[in-house]
Amino acid sequence: MAVSTSPQPSRISRPSPGTVAIVLLLLAACTLPFVLDAFWLSTADFILIAAIGALGLNVLTGYTGQVSLGHAFFLGIGAYTAAFLADHGVNAALWIPGAGVAAGLVGLLVGPTALRLRGLYLAIVTIGLVFLGTHLFVNIPAITGGPAGRATPQPMWGPADFGGNGLTIAGVSFDRNGCYYFLALTLLALSMWFVHNLMRTRSGRAMQAVRDREIAAALMGVNLARTKLAAFVVSSFLAGLCGALYGAFLFHVDPSQWGLLLSIQFVAIIIVGGIGTVWGALLGSVFITGLPTLLIHYSDSVPFLQHSAGQGGIAVSDATNLLYGLLIVVFLVVEPRGLIGLVARAAGSITHRRRTAAVAVHPSPLVEE
Amino acid sequence: MTTFLQLLFNGVALGCVYALIALGFTAIHRASNVINFAQGAFLLLGAYLVSTAAVDHGFPFPLAVILGLVAMVVIGIVFQMLILRRVQGQPAFTVVMITIGLNIIIVALVSALFGNAERGNGVGDPWGNTGVHLGSVVLLWVKVWTIVVTAAILLGFFVFDRYTRYGLATRATAIDEEAALAAGIPVRRVNAIAWGLAGALATVAGIFLSGSPNVLDPSIGDIALLAFPAIIIGGLDSPIGAVVGGLVIGLVYELFDGYSSSVPWLGHNFYSIAPYIVMIAVLLVKPYGLFGRPPAERV
Amino acid sequence: MSLSKKSARLATCTALVLTVAACGTGGSGSSSSGGGTLQTGPGIDASSKTITVGIISPLTGIAAAIGVPLTKGQEAYFKHVNDNGGIDGWKINFVEKDDQYKPQLHVQFFNELLPQMALLAQSLGSPTTKAIESQAGSAKLVVGAAAQASAFVSDPVMAVIGTPYAIDVANGVDYIVNQQGHKTAKLAMFYQNDDYGADGLKGYTAAKSAYSFNDVGQVPYNLTDADLTGQAHTLQASGAEYVFVTALPTFAAKLVGTAAAMGYFPHWVFQGPAWSEFLMTDKGTAKDKPTPVFPVLAGLGGGSTWVLGYEAGWGDTSVPGMKQFLADHDKYFAAQVPDGYFVYGYCEAEMEVAVLKKAIESNDLTRQGILNAKLNLGSLSFGGLIPPLNYTPQLGPADRQTDIAQVDTTAPGFLRIIQPYFESSAAKSLSL
Repeated sequence: MAVSTSPQPSRISRPSPGTVAIVLLLLAACTLPFVLDAFWLSTADFILIAAIGALGLNVLTGYTGQVSLGHAFFLGIGAYTAAFLADHGVNAALWIPGAGVAAGLVGLLVGPTALRLRGLYLAIVTIGLVFLGTHLFVNIPAITGGPAGRATPQPMWGPADFGGNGLTIAGVSFDRNGCYYFLALTLLALSMWFVHNLMRTRSGRAMQAVRDREIAAALMGVNLARTKLAAFVVSSFLAGLCGALYGAFLFHVDPSQWGLLLSIQFVAIIIVGGIGTVWGALLGSVFITGLPTLLIHYSDSVPFLQHSAGQGGIAVSDATNLLYGLLIVVFLVVEPRGLIGLVARAAGSITHRRRTAAVAVHPSPLVEE
Repeated sequence: MTTFLQLLFNGVALGCVYALIALGFTAIHRASNVINFAQGAFLLLGAYLVSTAAVDHGFPFPLAVILGLVAMVVIGIVFQMLILRRVQGQPAFTVVMITIGLNIIIVALVSALFGNAERGNGVGDPWGNTGVHLGSVVLLWVKVWTIVVTAAILLGFFVFDRYTRYGLATRATAIDEEAALAAGIPVRRVNAIAWGLAGALATVAGIFLSGSPNVLDPSIGDIALLAFPAIIIGGLDSPIGAVVGGLVIGLVYELFDGYSSSVPWLGHNFYSIAPYIVMIAVLLVKPYGLFGRPPAERV
Repeated sequence: MSLSKKSARLATCTALVLTVAACGTGGSGSSSSGGGTLQTGPGIDASSKTITVGIISPLTGIAAAIGVPLTKGQEAYFKHVNDNGGIDGWKINFVEKDDQYKPQLHVQFFNELLPQMALLAQSLGSPTTKAIESQAGSAKLVVGAAAQASAFVSDPVMAVIGTPYAIDVANGVDYIVNQQGHKTAKLAMFYQNDDYGADGLKGYTAAKSAYSFNDVGQVPYNLTDADLTGQAHTLQASGAEYVFVTALPTFAAKLVGTAAAMGYFPHWVFQGPAWSEFLMTDKGTAKDKPTPVFPVLAGLGGGSTWVLGYEAGWGDTSVPGMKQFLADHDKYFAAQVPDGYFVYGYCEAEMEVAVLKKAIESNDLTRQGILNAKLNLGSLSFGGLIPPLNYTPQLGPADRQTDIAQVDTTAPGFLRIIQPYFESSAAKSLSL
């Protein structure tokens, strides 16, 4: 890969124009609750929450190159830990990070076993983790409510009631959608900032080195086991946060939610968004979480779709799934760098660079030979 | 004892189905170094095609089976030629995710084309929920046929693998794709054949899974997920491993299903995750499966 | 559906107003009409006299087999009302949303409809309805819950019609043990390992403590099971003569077929959702090609199959409400095959119209007014299509009755009622 100071990565890493852009973006994001109706605002909530989990998966799969289909398991751990802590009177200011910590600890526990394996073996063992998780969630009714599931607690901070009427400050009301929006936005921004910086530290560079060439990294003195484990723990932590918010926002969780399909959805998010990028998680989440909603919402105006119960045409759910699968295939075949890559290409700045592997938008110093 | 024999027989029959699915995985992995996550969708689509031909269009069952097999071979080959060739040389993860995408597409197509209602006539098989009674052990015809046909297919597969030019080419490709190319082996054709073969194997598995007393519905594709432990236990590259792994999984599954109610602390329905537990246990001892070899690493 | 889109666009411009409305504090008004002053709330348009109600149901995807007939049934009754002068002149405008049985989409559509509907006429499914239950509660929005999970009956805003699964099973046990007098019969339970199965099991264990019958086993299964030999074998070995089946149709058929092949023919007692006419023939009607389990389900080789049900038999004109029902079916959805969910939807809409009528009579069409009307509705008869229900401020199940049908090759929809509605003592005392 060529040494490059292309504007795309530097927009993110260099403070001057990048910081301005990010501040503007954040400000724009803060105005959304005032312009979106409840439907789109709740959609935005799901998008932001999923982006936190996708960012976690990007640390493990995108930056460190370890393919995991077990992400849903860690989301489940987060959701149930949050509920368990709240049951015991813990404040939401603690149970939200607590959910992340618990998931991280579980990651630390299963990591050494899982990470002995390479590539596809790892992918399949993490599928096993999802099945094991579902079995546990069904069989520990004291915490999980058993197969029927359980209600999830809502954050309550002073006047802010996330479960009921939301918050009114200085005459401006936010309903629960608005409250969750700002909570998820804050957590996502912090996570993105954290991952962005992490990838510039020694450990972060080590992770990318492991991804690019494991043996070379080991020869250069990277501790493979420790690096992979670190990535696994960070990834699980973010998955736990995401699970806690997702569970709380849905009011109710049951074991069937934390299945393989959810894991695949997160992999799809980072593929479509951009593997191994901070912004890819958010972009992919907008696409994968938002697209079905868009399609269903406007199904009346789309030809060939079934418009009401039992009519002819393709059922909307089938159409969304078709599109979902096609997106994954098309992105991988045509633009393996995902939406981030498309953005970069549209900017016209890196068109001269050849597409390489399905990884690395950020130039990693270890592969710039 | 009767219970044990009954579970043993059913375990072997179920194991044969898993062996067929696993063999499909292995065939593809040997040729192109990827795991085909769309194997479950192949199974689903194959079963629906046979069901449509036999039940809806009234074709004789053997003809319906042949039509289904041919269609699935073609679909497997076309997919390999149209999509996978374009991503050759990409990381395994990329290709695996493409097969996951394909899985989603096929499942949606099956739902759009055939609907979601359960098909009570299954694949229109002629065995009709009857069997042979040996004492109080019942050998259902569908299961007897599963075992016989699987044995025949395995035999054929090993003969093909051992004694034909394509078998030799496949093995060469499995060992080193670049070297095989250099030696003039038509690696692309070998790949395409492997995908066609996997389509056919999945269809056979689908037929046996939806033969009576079973009913065909779209959830049948998920059953392939239990074949993952089979290939891992056996080792991704070993056809013998796939068969052994499949049988182990089938037996573990049935025996736990039959007896786990006497071990209540394992929780409800422990049998459904027992194969994964066995898989993890095997991997702790042998990280590349019982019959697999660790790949050579180059620096 | 175009209305919903238009108002969504409108809503974008008035987001702040909506935020307030969503909190349940705004959107109210009042207008004079006839005798008193009519209070109105969200979803009520006093000038055109329309009441907007929402329907969030799986119209496509795996659960559409339930959602589509149920929604059509509701539509049929609403259309019937609109074509016959409305409710005291008020027309019902229904807005449908397809949630594909995903809680996430359910929440999104609920948020979309919340500011513009007077009540949610249908929320199908337990996990989906639980995701919106709390929000509906704080908005005081009456929800027609098409979900038989027993927990909903103690929530004031949930308008559940029908008998909870648990009570169906308790009634079924009573029928065998007490009415038929098989005091020592061996009973067993086969159930899906999720909330649906757990509910059936709850009724079974409650009946066990009430009647202390001879329970020989409770056998779960998973949705990913390829083979039910282990379960069938356990049941056979237990010697169960009556097996309750709280399962989905595919697995019910698999179990019955597997057992039959082993030469095991007990009396199968299906929970309502375990039954499907597609288990009998490939297109679901008597003239189509029979399936391999057809003779077993019909009891031709021994044993029998019962279905714990709720509706009157389709086409049974001895039921007073059947004539009008069939006329509406023929007028609005003639192509719909006989299906219990269609009846259920029709009756659910009938209940909602009764609630709205009561709210109009008390001049209060605010959310609170509609909720009061629901809580104080009292007894409502459905002309025998389903048993009468009873809503009171004390809550609890709207009714506790079950009927039992036997699978019969000659009956319409393959079901012949063998025991009309009844309520057992275990069902009376079962606390949910």
